[in-house]
Amino acid sequence: MARLGDIQIPRELLQKAAHGDEAAQVVVYTTTAPATFALIRRLMSNRAVAEDLFQDTMMTLFEKLPEFRGEAPLGAWLKQIAVSKCLMFLRSPWHRVRLRLENESEPEIAQGLGALITPAPCVEGLDVERALSSLSATARAVVWLYEVEGYSHEEIARLFGRTVSFSKSQLARAHVKLRDWFGSTRGKQSCTPIQSNGKV
Amino acid sequence: MIQHRLRNLPRELAQPYDWTEFRRRARERAAAVARRDANARTTLAVAAALVLAVVGIAIWMRFTRSGGPPDIAGYPMAETDWRVFEGDAGSVSGTDARANAAERWLASLPTEPVVVRVGTRAAVTGLEDRIAQLDDYLSAARVAGVQPAKLVDVEAQRALLVRSLVQVRYAETLVSASR
Repeated sequence: MARLGDIQIPRELLQKAAHGDEAAQVVVYTTTAPATFALIRRLMSNRAVAEDLFQDTMMTLFEKLPEFRGEAPLGAWLKQIAVSKCLMFLRSPWHRVRLRLENESEPEIAQGLGALITPAPCVEGLDVERALSSLSATARAVVWLYEVEGYSHEEIARLFGRTVSFSKSQLARAHVKLRDWFGSTRGKQSCTPIQSNGKV
Repeated sequence: MIQHRLRNLPRELAQPYDWTEFRRRARERAAAVARRDANARTTLAVAAALVLAVVGIAIWMRFTRSGGPPDIAGYPMAETDWRVFEGDAGSVSGTDARANAAERWLASLPTEPVVVRVGTRAAVTGLEDRIAQLDDYLSAARVAGVQPAKLVDVEAQRALLVRSLVQVRYAETLVSASR
């Protein structure tokens, strides 16, 4: 499976897409959309919000495509756009209000239990996702960016508009929580058990 | 360990919708943005119209008040004094009584004129702003390649403003030195 940062698209195709060739744009969209959506979905637990941000990201991609100089792979450029959109959302006052409302009205969703996205056959993935969704939105973003996307603490701090200590402390706290999670679930069943009547 | 588990998660998910749906949503969003911009422009226009109306009414009221002759009929001192003078006015004509009353009123005023001190901050800030505006304009004009001859008036205006600023500053220095 391709990482978003590694996705490359031939220069001629990009030029055609930048000049409004719809067939080329379709190719760019279908090549980049799955990895882009996956990244956004890892950072955002709410699917509706993730779809909104995905739409924003892809629209920005096609708007700014004529400015793309091709010095890095298109995927790396797109990753920057997607991450920046997600973190802007996390920093927005609107997000904080939404989070508070969710905490008041639907505690289960707020805890992230409704946020599992890995396809069902990947059992271990479900566990990791449950562990991730037990973190706050900010902590999850910091963990994902640092551990998986390879961002440094300085870069994360800059993106969040905070200090390096903020990034480090978020990561350290998240690690403790994840270790606790994996420790407490060790030996337990990974999947939701099938009941005697056969219903899940 | 945690890093390893996280990195093993799938890096691609099925795209939420296809290209056709993406285009439809993009068009919808563009239309919403256009509607929002139009609403913002309308709101701005209404607000500007309201501000203009308020300013217009204020100016109109100011001119209608100060435009006519001063209303001296209701001046209390005049009323009082006429009555005092009319008591022994048998040999004095009405005009003299009025003149005497006026003189008495003038005598009751302080001998030295009242000095009102006004802060210079507003004047200085205003002058500095206008000089900065002219500087911006001159810079933009020079960048745009406007002939210097066409900027003579603006430069003269700027020099005038700078002179005014110097005078205000000089006055401030004198006042602070005299304290």
